[in-house]
Amino acid sequence: MRLALAILGSALLAAWGVGFAGPYEQQVLTIAGINALAVLGYQLVFGRLGALSLAQGIFFAVGAYATGLLATRWGLSFPVTFLVSILAPMLVALVVSIPVLRLGSHYFALATLGIAQLGTLVAVNWEDVTGGANGIYGVPEIAAFGQTVPVGSAMLVLVWGLVVFGVILFGLLTQGARGARLATLERSPLAAGAIGIDAGRTRLTLFLIGAGFAGAAGALQAHAVGVVSPAVARFDVMVAILAMAVIGGRGSALGAVLGAVLLTHLPEWFRAFESYYLIAYGVAVLATVILLPSGLAGLIRRTPARPPTRPPNWVATGPLAKSQTGFARPAGLARRPPATLTVAGAGKRFGGLIALEGVDLHISPGRIIGLIGPNGSGKTTLLNLISGLERADTGRVRLDAVDISGLPANHIARLGVARCFQHPDLPGELTAFEAVLAATPGDASAVDRAADSAADRAIGCLRELGIDMLASRRVSDLAAAEQRRLEIARALATQPRVLLLDEPAAGLGENERVDLARQLRQLAEGGLGILVVEHTMDFLLPLADRVVCLVAGRRVAEGEAAEVVRDPAAISAYFGEAPA
Amino acid sequence: MRKIIVATAQIAFLAGALSSGSALAESVDIPILVPITGFISLEGTAQRNGAVQALETPPAGVSVSYEVSDTSTSPEVAVNALRRAISKGKPVAAAASIFGTQMLAMLPIAKRAGLPLITVSGTAKLTELGNPYIFRFFPGDAVVKVAHARYAVEELGAKRPAIIYQTTSYGQSGRAELARILTKLGAPPVFEEALSVKVKDMLPAITRARAAKADMLLLHLHSGSTALVVRQARGAGWDVPIVAGSAMHQPTTAALLRPAELKGVCAESASSPISESTADVKAFTAEFRKRFKTEPDAFALGQYDGIRMVLAALKDGAKDAEGVRAWLSSHTHKGLAMTYKSDGKGNMAHDALILCYDGSGNAPRIVKRYDNVDGVLE
Repeated sequence: MRLALAILGSALLAAWGVGFAGPYEQQVLTIAGINALAVLGYQLVFGRLGALSLAQGIFFAVGAYATGLLATRWGLSFPVTFLVSILAPMLVALVVSIPVLRLGSHYFALATLGIAQLGTLVAVNWEDVTGGANGIYGVPEIAAFGQTVPVGSAMLVLVWGLVVFGVILFGLLTQGARGARLATLERSPLAAGAIGIDAGRTRLTLFLIGAGFAGAAGALQAHAVGVVSPAVARFDVMVAILAMAVIGGRGSALGAVLGAVLLTHLPEWFRAFESYYLIAYGVAVLATVILLPSGLAGLIRRTPARPPTRPPNWVATGPLAKSQTGFARPAGLARRPPATLTVAGAGKRFGGLIALEGVDLHISPGRIIGLIGPNGSGKTTLLNLISGLERADTGRVRLDAVDISGLPANHIARLGVARCFQHPDLPGELTAFEAVLAATPGDASAVDRAADSAADRAIGCLRELGIDMLASRRVSDLAAAEQRRLEIARALATQPRVLLLDEPAAGLGENERVDLARQLRQLAEGGLGILVVEHTMDFLLPLADRVVCLVAGRRVAEGEAAEVVRDPAAISAYFGEAPA
Repeated sequence: MRKIIVATAQIAFLAGALSSGSALAESVDIPILVPITGFISLEGTAQRNGAVQALETPPAGVSVSYEVSDTSTSPEVAVNALRRAISKGKPVAAAASIFGTQMLAMLPIAKRAGLPLITVSGTAKLTELGNPYIFRFFPGDAVVKVAHARYAVEELGAKRPAIIYQTTSYGQSGRAELARILTKLGAPPVFEEALSVKVKDMLPAITRARAAKADMLLLHLHSGSTALVVRQARGAGWDVPIVAGSAMHQPTTAALLRPAELKGVCAESASSPISESTADVKAFTAEFRKRFKTEPDAFALGQYDGIRMVLAALKDGAKDAEGVRAWLSSHTHKGLAMTYKSDGKGNMAHDALILCYDGSGNAPRIVKRYDNVDGVLE
């Protein structure tokens, strides 16, 4: 809906500009379109990844200078200068991404600010190339294939045509499963890794594309103004892009267009106030931020990805073929071959604290292993080592014959180890369907050609946990028990071969625990190996095939539940007395 | 009765239409497009005030209207302001930004629209582009930097001057000219450093200049930076003579410093309204103070003279922008600061002067005049 409005609005603005506006209004509208392109790119990085990059302004400047230099010194035509102006900032982004993309939010902001400052210094002081403070002047109007695109109607149509193209590209990158993955990556970065999202690759891709958008905008700016000066590299440009993104509506293409149009025009509307116009401008911007915290685009509710309405292609195989829900397992849910997970001699220290020492563990297909122990005994640390969120100091972790020790979390998830967290780690603004859709195998940075099957798979996972009727509800509106099931459904969407659950019964009522135990047992009967960390013994002991007890990072007991509860070491360290 | 009312209304309408038509025919539009916000707002505001004072007191028989638009500090805003001014009516000329980078962006548009731009920007490049619509009423670097360098070398005996300049088009353009002339005069700079307008701690640059054994400090900085360098150099106990750029002549710059700090400080300029003793300039200064509650400087007077020359062209029969351009290109005009004449490139001002502060107050006195430096008036 918002995407369609952005496209329609852009087309209407261009039509109004051509049909009714004078040269001045056309110029301002052209600049607004150029800003919209830069902000669209910024929405990918800041809006969708939540990364406060302060380098978008310098990417804009690189595009502007590339066009200025190539057009004035070598007289190259627009197709060449435009392409180079897009690629040059992407190349700069690629180089700077190596050190900065790994950094946390505020360090990332500071690092990109440093890059922006460096760019400004280069623009001012590398006089032989950039023209110094005078800049590069006499940038010609756009000309290609024997046609000139003069500033005015023609330039306006070109710029807003590119905005429409940019909005469509933005939509392709951020809608459906891809949008859900980006939301998960932004709101729940740990969970994103655990469901197989390659955070580094996704961040790099969007950072580069965002830089390309800025470069395109800078190139058009050079043609529209005719001069490229260090003013394009000043921090003001970055601040303007940031303000447009926030006031328009963070993360939305419509927000980029609205923010750019509004903030480009506001100073012009207030120009008659002379030196006081900045006050009027500031008041208007402040009022917008206070009255519309989600930005202008927030006035129109986001349209979530819709679950498929047609019946998926059912295939009656596996243990759920006759489940209580009456549904067979959809084709998309067909699992990969079961696998055995083996932990041998795992050890982990945090400074002087020994969190794990020489722990062995074996999870066979179709078996449920219970992991118990007092708080601080190393249970969650063990899950983190297996799932790649922590790196073991000693020992190996193998999935069948594959050594997965030290692999990144997303890689381990893709190999078939899924996990849930002690506290469900789900992006609240997504629907339940979208939260699961995010985990369906795919690549957030590539065109998802299997969107339909991914949607079928997602709804199938929700059905397997009996919560498909919640598909359209927002995650933040779900009860705790529903969120726990949703997180398991999301883990199943990764098509796991081994499932790790961290206190799945915490906070659940008795009936809910019974239901959950039944569902886990059914999953195990389908061949899935499951490791359950739990303190609720009346839930775990009847469920687990074997139980391992950890105390102070060491395995003190292992065996069938009945054996472990009688084990003196387990009783002494954990139970206190044998449970009934 | 009804016929009388209708007839009266028709007559009134006709009279109104005629009178407004008559007013439109006489009134001409001269927009003021200058930076009144941002780091160059002191100079831009002086420009604005000079232009406004000229437009508020047009010669008899000339009616003008004007609107002030802020160009801030980016070329894009200046271009928008110019396009807006052009699209709103048929201006015969425009008072245009002192900021050289903005002028470079505005010039092609002014050329396409056939609109003369009246400016006091010192950026040398502006009049080297062959654009016939630029008219600069402040001596360019080729004039004032000659006065600047000659005074330092010939009058104060500089042998090892240091140059501190700004990383703006104004700064870089002036530095190149200053270094060239100093070298020609046999006193090449021993130290050069560029400062951003954002830099507030000038001591590192001052210390390096001192370490280079400079015997004089030549500044080519905007107002705020000039005051900071002077204060911090004096604060550091470095008492070498300082010959600064035109920013130092501005009363608003001097007001930032104590008289003791100003001792031994000189500045180049096109004029200094508060230092002149002629009746015309005194009258201008008094009117300026009354109108704007501030002291006029050379930028205000240069812009005033420029707009007065446009008004003289209109008074002399120029009907439109092209007529004004032709008149400005071919006539000599005696202004308050100096006599103006185009050198064929749009450089209208050819005199410069040197002002010095003696440490007893914040008003400088004129110590040296360099008239007709480039020989155009002969």
